[in-house]
Amino acid sequence: MNNVLYNKLVDLYAGRELPAELEEQMELAAEQDAALKREMSSMRNVVDTLHQMDSPEYTEESYQRILMKLYARGAEIQTQSPEPSHFQYHLPLQG
Amino acid sequence: MPNDAMRDTLAEKRWLTALAKGDPQALGGLYEMYGERIFRYTLRMLGNRTDAEDATAETFLRVLRRSAELRADGAFRTWLFRIARNLCIDKMRQHKLMELPSDAHYSGSEERATLRVTVHQALADLPIEYREPLVLCDLEDMAAREAAEILKISVPALKSRLYRGRRALRDKLGGTLERTS
Repeated sequence: MNNVLYNKLVDLYAGRELPAELEEQMELAAEQDAALKREMSSMRNVVDTLHQMDSPEYTEESYQRILMKLYARGAEIQTQSPEPSHFQYHLPLQG
Repeated sequence: MPNDAMRDTLAEKRWLTALAKGDPQALGGLYEMYGERIFRYTLRMLGNRTDAEDATAETFLRVLRRSAELRADGAFRTWLFRIARNLCIDKMRQHKLMELPSDAHYSGSEERATLRVTVHQALADLPIEYREPLVLCDLEDMAAREAAEILKISVPALKSRLYRGRRALRDKLGGTLERTS
């Protein structure tokens, strides 16, 4: 098979962009071709891994620090979320 | 259009109209709508929480500065990501921040955490033209058309970079994925 077309089909297979019928045909063809099978499975594995990666945590601290940066740079901003308790009460200063 | 998307579009339109009128709640509303996505995107691009927070804040400052020009025509989100992307590229140029997100917080098992670090390291080692489509399409689950608009390239060009990026990532990861799958 033409190498460019071969790679293109594998790319589409990996991203689950092929119609089901064509995907089945590729899987059948891969049964007779170990190199194709390896290529299809490794590329799909990459795509699946990326799609299943957890998102980095967006913490309350990050949310508040970004707000603080906006205030510090002069932005007038009001949010609907309640302020965290440590912004509501002044802590007693030592000394 | 699904109900959630419709609701978001209406809320976005309301906030943008209010922002143009100088309503201080409007920037807060837009930040609450998009702050998390922009932060996650910038963290994935920069690999550093402090820089990601800074880039996110600067993105919303640009919204404020350009409030008179912004239109609720469906392109706002794309514009927002494009601003965030430009800020990330500037920061990467300034600091050469191409390493893995060593201070990114994730939860999950140790095995998954190891895999994440390995994948992020491999992603960070990819040329930026491959990394960007992978972050937008595969990690942020963005449609090809929107990702192409953010990167200011055609959809076929985006797909070509995406496929090449996936292959390059596969080659960098070697047998890691087979061992963990």
